[in-house]
Amino acid sequence: MADEKIRSVIIGLDGVPYGLLRAFAEEGVMPNTADLMENGTLKKMKSSIPEISSVAWSSVITGVNPGEHGIFGFTDIPPNTYRLTFPNFNNLKVNPFWEKDGSSSHILINIPSTYPARGMNGVLISGFVALDLEKAVFPKSLIPHLEEIDYRVDVDSGKAHESMELFIKDLNVTNEARIAAYRRLWERKWDTFMLVFTGTDRLMHFLWDAYEDKTHVYGGAFRQYFRRVDEIIGEIAGKIKETDDFIMLSDHGFERLDEDVYINAVLAEERLLSFESGKEARLANISSETKAFALDPARIYVNLEGRYPRGGVKPSEKETVIERIIDIFGSLSHEGRRVIKSIYSKDDIYSGAHREKAPDIVLMGEKGFNLKAAPGAGEVFSKGIFTGKHSYDDAFLFINRKEPQAIMPDEPTVSDVLDIMNRMKEGSVYEGVSQ
Amino acid sequence: MKEFHNKECTCWNCPAINLAGKVDFRACGQSPKKFEGGLSRGETHLMAECKRRPELGLFDPMSMTFEECSEWRETPYGYLLKNMRVMIVGIDGYLGWTLALWLGKLGCRISGVDNFSRRGWVKERGSHSVVPISDMNTRLHAAKEVLGLNINFREMDILDRESLKEFIEEEKPEAIVHYGECPSAPYSMIDFEHASYVQKNNVMGTLGLLFTMHEAAPEASLIKLGTMGEYGVPLTGRPIFEGMFPADAVLKWDDREWSMGGELTPRDPVSFYHVSKVQDTFNVYEACKYWWLRSYDVMQGVIYGVHTEQLAADPRLRTRFDIDECFGTVINRYVSQAVIGYPLTIFGTGEQIRGFIGLEDAMQCITRLIAKPPEPGQYGVVNQMSGYSSMRNIAETVKRIGKKEFGLNVKIQRVENPRVEADRHPFEPIFDKLPKEFGFVQQDALDKEIVRMFKLLTQRHVKERIEEKEHLILPKTWWSGVKKEVERLELIKDENGNKNGNGNGKNGKESRNGSKNGKKETVTFDGR
Repeated sequence: MADEKIRSVIIGLDGVPYGLLRAFAEEGVMPNTADLMENGTLKKMKSSIPEISSVAWSSVITGVNPGEHGIFGFTDIPPNTYRLTFPNFNNLKVNPFWEKDGSSSHILINIPSTYPARGMNGVLISGFVALDLEKAVFPKSLIPHLEEIDYRVDVDSGKAHESMELFIKDLNVTNEARIAAYRRLWERKWDTFMLVFTGTDRLMHFLWDAYEDKTHVYGGAFRQYFRRVDEIIGEIAGKIKETDDFIMLSDHGFERLDEDVYINAVLAEERLLSFESGKEARLANISSETKAFALDPARIYVNLEGRYPRGGVKPSEKETVIERIIDIFGSLSHEGRRVIKSIYSKDDIYSGAHREKAPDIVLMGEKGFNLKAAPGAGEVFSKGIFTGKHSYDDAFLFINRKEPQAIMPDEPTVSDVLDIMNRMKEGSVYEGVSQ
Repeated sequence: MKEFHNKECTCWNCPAINLAGKVDFRACGQSPKKFEGGLSRGETHLMAECKRRPELGLFDPMSMTFEECSEWRETPYGYLLKNMRVMIVGIDGYLGWTLALWLGKLGCRISGVDNFSRRGWVKERGSHSVVPISDMNTRLHAAKEVLGLNINFREMDILDRESLKEFIEEEKPEAIVHYGECPSAPYSMIDFEHASYVQKNNVMGTLGLLFTMHEAAPEASLIKLGTMGEYGVPLTGRPIFEGMFPADAVLKWDDREWSMGGELTPRDPVSFYHVSKVQDTFNVYEACKYWWLRSYDVMQGVIYGVHTEQLAADPRLRTRFDIDECFGTVINRYVSQAVIGYPLTIFGTGEQIRGFIGLEDAMQCITRLIAKPPEPGQYGVVNQMSGYSSMRNIAETVKRIGKKEFGLNVKIQRVENPRVEADRHPFEPIFDKLPKEFGFVQQDALDKEIVRMFKLLTQRHVKERIEEKEHLILPKTWWSGVKKEVERLELIKDENGNKNGNGNGKNGKESRNGSKNGKKETVTFDGR
């Protein structure tokens, strides 16, 4: 039918790096992905800054940078408080694409940072962070069906600390429930179908070493998980119409974690951060002598007078404090290796109505250095049970088109995805590019 | 700025939060387990929502204090939640009714349950409240009319778990004060039927309440009435700690040492009733451990008194006042005896020492505990007493005031001791937590409250009600099982009395080793 709408199918693979996807496609772990790649375009994509899911997925679904959508991390501190909040869908300042296009119907499964779910045309099942299924699903009439298939928003990550066997089992059970949900919902009428696999990210955090080392005891389980995801990719690809747009993407990449680096511990060592006498090292207890503090993963805020209850930095001193922080982190090294790859000031990376809420400085680690805030950490460097960490510049984007120059920039970022989707749908092209 | 005892408590303590679960952003991980694997310490975060202020969204409950929260408002007893929903189990009793009016006037929204069994027990023993009390309908009406309080009362036996759960789900209490037990040692010693009844009523009632809270109100704090009698009086003279050994307590044995810090101290109950209270202690302790319920176990000294501002506001608002052998507490009974010229009866030597607390002070303590809710999973214990004294000195004090202020000729008489207890014993109670951690300051001295009691009990209609039940004052219940009235022994001569009414009869003062380095701190009965 000539008037039939072009449908979009979007598959998200949380955290899957471009390099891994290519490697698994070539090695035969992900044969369906390999087939798709022959008839489409796979590109490296840059994540958000910072390169974490809540920020990156918020950019994907709104098409704007954090300065506009207002999500700068998993945590935030409202003005005039030290209350640690967890921004969620209610804090997203720009409507996601499905709310801008109310005439189309959308099936959206496991979309990170869309909790609590709210009314829309279609179905929304929120993804991480979403602790209560009751609030994670729209319409609510769907909840009994999801409960019937034992749907869970996410794996219980606590299990990995008890037993890796238990964790992998839970990961697979969670994944199968998600697959069951997609199969049921696929049969409905829709214009956009979006499904995000988040188990990939969890698996890589705990078992990146099992990816790099094929002899690793969980090397097989790691590949089996990706094999299963690829089966579903193949299943979906087999169901779509020729006219459908098909997009796959990740929100950030991944790499080996060599060392955790605790930013607040650096600030404390440099006497820029201290806590009220006799109180626990929590941001709620920071002293008025504090010049700066960090929120995860490496967002540094100047403890500015007037902005925070115990702000110890006068506005006239702010630039001096920032310069000092840049000096400190610019020269930070560990066992002869430089630790910080990039130091961004908010003016460099954020624009928009909510830029004022942004951190004053954002750090990005060199390869292998995993930056964390954790005010209670005693030491600057340590290594926990995690073997993988997020990376910035090797997320991926795949589209089922062979002429990428027409619809995507050479170096796409997560904020470009929505625009690319729209161009695919509308058939429009970048200026100066002939179709 | 006022230095309230609870200003630094955080939303972690607050019953108005919903704990949604835990997140670990190191691995983009979430877990529905709220408590396992440690709390919000740096890298994992508990996520809470405020039931009262949903606009706050999800936040770390440890990052906001009561002082910073607009829902906690200043009262004379610390910050208290606005319109805090408090459910009183046993609201018709001596303490329950008093607390309902007291908290109601502080702005709490009060609900309560009772099955009027206390009225029944006293009636069964042939007695009555010598201060006339109204039926519940009249009480509720008067509370509304005189004090402007709307108390939501539901008649029920808490052993009826279904009804209890339904009411808790309806009321959504933020604190539950559990006074709903049979509070009498002699009653539990009458015979097997009474012993088993008391234990079933108390132990099963509390256990049912714990299960119901687990199911329907896991965030509410439970303030549970225990008794100093759970500890007994250790003849070794070791301090009677507040439920648990302090952090630096050490057990030395066989040339070795063990830290005892945090372990429950031994209990040595002194009747089958006290055994029920000890069993409660363990049940509450376990529920906190298994289900992360939160509770303060209040080891209350012997209670006395008639007065709060609310009780005195209208005769229909008075709380009960018993004088019979089972339900009359010792100071209340002594004043009643003095009023009708009945010699004050001391058991055995009268050298038994007990902790005491006045009614108004007890109300203050409970309020302060409610205002500083325990953390989830915390089982806290306080020894709630404002001083201690020997029975004989208490009798001397009542005698002195009766004579001096009211011109009464009061005698003190020894009688046989029907209980199995040490007549003379060391007594080293620790009761530091309420003053040090909860800001409790004794308001009413013993003498002042005894004067108030005399004033009320000497009113003709009250005096007549005492005289009517005079025959029920002398104990007939022996711990040995013997059924006979105790024998009256000699009258105590005046010169043997302690003139100022304080202390243990030796020097008019008690001391306790609540301080370090063996330095003694002196505490009189009436103050700290």
